[in-house]
Amino acid sequence: MSGSIDTGIPAASLSRRGFLAAGGAMIVALGMKSSVAAPGPGASLDAARPASWIEIHADDTVVIRTGKCDFGQSSIYTAYRQIVAEELGIPFEAITTVVSGDTDRSPDGGGTFGLLRNNVLNLRKVAAYTREAVLDLASQQLSVPRDRLSVADGVVSGGGKSVTFGRLVAGQDLRLTIPVSGELTEFFGLQVQGSPPFKPAAAYTIVGKPYKNSIVRPKISGEAMWVGDVKLPDMVHARAIHPATLGSKLLTAGKVDKAQFPGAQVVVIGNLVAVVSANEWEAVQAAMQVASDTKWSDWKGLPGHVRLLDHLRQNVKWDEVPATKGSANKGDTAVAAAKVHSGTYFMPFLKHAPIGPTVSLADVRPDGSVTVHTHSQNPQFLRRLIAKMLAKSEDAVVIRTYPGPGHFGRSNGGNAGSEDEAVLLSRELGRPVRVQWMRADDMKWSTQSSPSYADISIGLDASGRMASYRADHKGPPMQDDRPIGAILAGLPTIDPPSPTNPSRIHSAVTSVVDRWVYGAVPNVAETGHGTYQIGQRESPIGVGLRDHSMRTPIQFQQNFPREVAITEAAALAGADPLQFRIDHVSDERFKTILARLREESGWVTRRIPAPGARANGEAVIRGQGVSIMLRDNGYWACAAHIAISPAKGEVRVERLTIVVDPGIVVNPLQLRRQAQAGSLMGVSQTLHEEVAFDEKGITSEDWSSYPILTMAEMPDVKVVLAPRPDVGIYGQGSESANALAAPAIAGAFLDATGKPARRIPLRPDYVKALLTA
Amino acid sequence: MITIVVNGEKRQVQSSPDTPLLYVLRNELNLMTPKFGCGLAQCGACSVLLDGEEIRSCITPVDSVTDKEVTTVDGLPARWAKQRSLSPEKAAKTLHPVQEAWIEEQVPQCGICQFGMMIKVTELLEHNPKPSDDDIKEALTTSGPSPHLCRCASYAAILEGVHRAASIMAEGDLG
Repeated sequence: MSGSIDTGIPAASLSRRGFLAAGGAMIVALGMKSSVAAPGPGASLDAARPASWIEIHADDTVVIRTGKCDFGQSSIYTAYRQIVAEELGIPFEAITTVVSGDTDRSPDGGGTFGLLRNNVLNLRKVAAYTREAVLDLASQQLSVPRDRLSVADGVVSGGGKSVTFGRLVAGQDLRLTIPVSGELTEFFGLQVQGSPPFKPAAAYTIVGKPYKNSIVRPKISGEAMWVGDVKLPDMVHARAIHPATLGSKLLTAGKVDKAQFPGAQVVVIGNLVAVVSANEWEAVQAAMQVASDTKWSDWKGLPGHVRLLDHLRQNVKWDEVPATKGSANKGDTAVAAAKVHSGTYFMPFLKHAPIGPTVSLADVRPDGSVTVHTHSQNPQFLRRLIAKMLAKSEDAVVIRTYPGPGHFGRSNGGNAGSEDEAVLLSRELGRPVRVQWMRADDMKWSTQSSPSYADISIGLDASGRMASYRADHKGPPMQDDRPIGAILAGLPTIDPPSPTNPSRIHSAVTSVVDRWVYGAVPNVAETGHGTYQIGQRESPIGVGLRDHSMRTPIQFQQNFPREVAITEAAALAGADPLQFRIDHVSDERFKTILARLREESGWVTRRIPAPGARANGEAVIRGQGVSIMLRDNGYWACAAHIAISPAKGEVRVERLTIVVDPGIVVNPLQLRRQAQAGSLMGVSQTLHEEVAFDEKGITSEDWSSYPILTMAEMPDVKVVLAPRPDVGIYGQGSESANALAAPAIAGAFLDATGKPARRIPLRPDYVKALLTA
Repeated sequence: MITIVVNGEKRQVQSSPDTPLLYVLRNELNLMTPKFGCGLAQCGACSVLLDGEEIRSCITPVDSVTDKEVTTVDGLPARWAKQRSLSPEKAAKTLHPVQEAWIEEQVPQCGICQFGMMIKVTELLEHNPKPSDDDIKEALTTSGPSPHLCRCASYAAILEGVHRAASIMAEGDLG
């Protein structure tokens, strides 16, 4: 009873495996021998057999599966559903289930980032392939030529006949096999190949609507199980005792005071020390007691945050890693200029700083199977890292994912910090282990967003137009995916970032990633300079300050200096900084959103600094600033209006206005929420955030030593969506919005005070120094 | 053995008297909406109501709450139903207006902080049914042991959520 049907697309093939007495489904499977689709939800715990992408059931419901996860931005529950429903020709509500992340129940792997940029292409193509296969099936069943059929609302109709998707698959066991490339557990996962026909954007009825995020209700009602809520039978609670410095080795582990903590136990694996107990509070207290009694070797090898910029400028050998040229470089920046602006710009280490510290559970069974319960942005790559650490087959490892505290890219290479420690402790103890890092562990032992500095010079011609732009961006790399527990235990990991790392994403080379937008500037020379992570090579345990991508990695570090420098160049030219941008961008989409920003923000067109700008005094002064960025096909412009008390050094952001043209807006409700929150997190970074560290390690250890924005400090935020659906591309949301505030606020600082702000955070001690410089 | 009253029920507790209420709620009573954030009363993720006033359960020993009533987000629907004398059928289908507002306004990004936010906002609205923006910011920033922190910075959505909740509660009064 099996057979095949011509889908009309060379790349995909539909096979009929049989007819069923009841039910029926069409399941979209992978075109790879090693990854045969499992026959339905919950039917497989075999990690080598990820399940299907899309299943159409006889009751007209549809399941979609993705290896990507939700990090609070909702895209897999909103935009993904909308895009699949649109391509497939079914109602949004017909997609009743979204399975995500779990390595044994999702098909494609890869990292959760750029969801609307590239990643949704997998499911979008699968949906398009499936719609074509549905049309073939319907043509057969209805005996109507395919070109007379059309699809809408889950119904195929034509020639006076119609049939629902459910009726088409009822009683059958259908498999649509589609072509893929890549490796499931590789960093970028699998990519669906071929070019199935996409629905034209002009015909969209679902994309563009403000659908609600289906995970919000279960989260808010308390029904959703978060990773920290998972309880495994017979599990113990663990607290790690991390080394005294970022380069310390264990001398002697402390002993548990059994009289005080009878149920607690110390576990030592190399330099990995932990205390476990069936009682969580006992584990917490016993860990503190044992930590006070544990001896580590001393180590000093970091420059300290106070000397960080000097260290980067004077001590780092920038010729160890090849430099890279910007793709927009042209002309000769040595061209003669009437006036020159030059400056050095600096961005410190920043923390992802999730509200909940990383927590994971692991169950390593005597049969060799390993199950990890966590909140990861790249579970298949985590599976690879865990297998590598244990020298096991990847088939033995399953990663299950749950909602967790947003950590903004920290785990897009698999681990957020606690996963591998849970695995090693469970293997040692032979029972499930839950590792909950405490606040200080999460601040001091997680990765951070790396620092950078830039030397920029801008030449103006006699008429005040930019004739040349030169920028040298320098900083450590941004993607250390080595699990910390594996490092401490001395077990195998992938390599740290270096110029020779075979994985491109894990290279120490710094590219110019902030897309150049000032096309009217005739001479441009941008260069990226990379180096090794600070202290990593010097640390006897290979740790040092480990870095990891955060929201708009590298682009934030390059866009901040560029946009602040452009504002300073406008000041030198005697121009209005918003009009100065309009005069130098070449893309009409930027001109449009900048003009819109001028209206929406109440921008006053005039020279900068403002008349009456002051760098001293008790009275509050005000300023306006602007920034722009092109990221993932999204055009962004931001205006900040701020108030400063020079005597106190206090900066208050009063209003933030954002205009975004992302091409097609998939979901205006969710995009607005993402942009509001993302931009406010940017205000937090601008006003407060800098990782403090001394020669030994990180000294920011809680919310008082790493403060973030509070509600009382929030400005009014206005987000204006200015879509351009005709361009046919989906832009991105919150991560782009995150980078906008800092350069706009720094521009407003110059406007208000007449003094440049070439670094963040703009907290009182730095502000006072800037004002007296 | 300690007895505490949580979400309207008397519960026997085995944990030692110094155990922070947060661990008792989560590990012993299986009430998972208060979240572990800092363990230092610096963020508000673990907030619960104690006789209607917000406290931080991560630093509150369980034996200090024996003669008072603890309410977690899990217990907010029943609290609302009791306050408004809703019929059992209606009560079974009703979330607290703050929860409904949070869903209507799509307040959360990741959502981990929102349990503490909703507890604090419930406390606020029970005292002040029509708060101004400044009242809301004050409640969520300076009124307690620390500001209620949201790393996703969903503060604009929270502000809209509180006003929506106030309006749902006022409608309830009319209806």
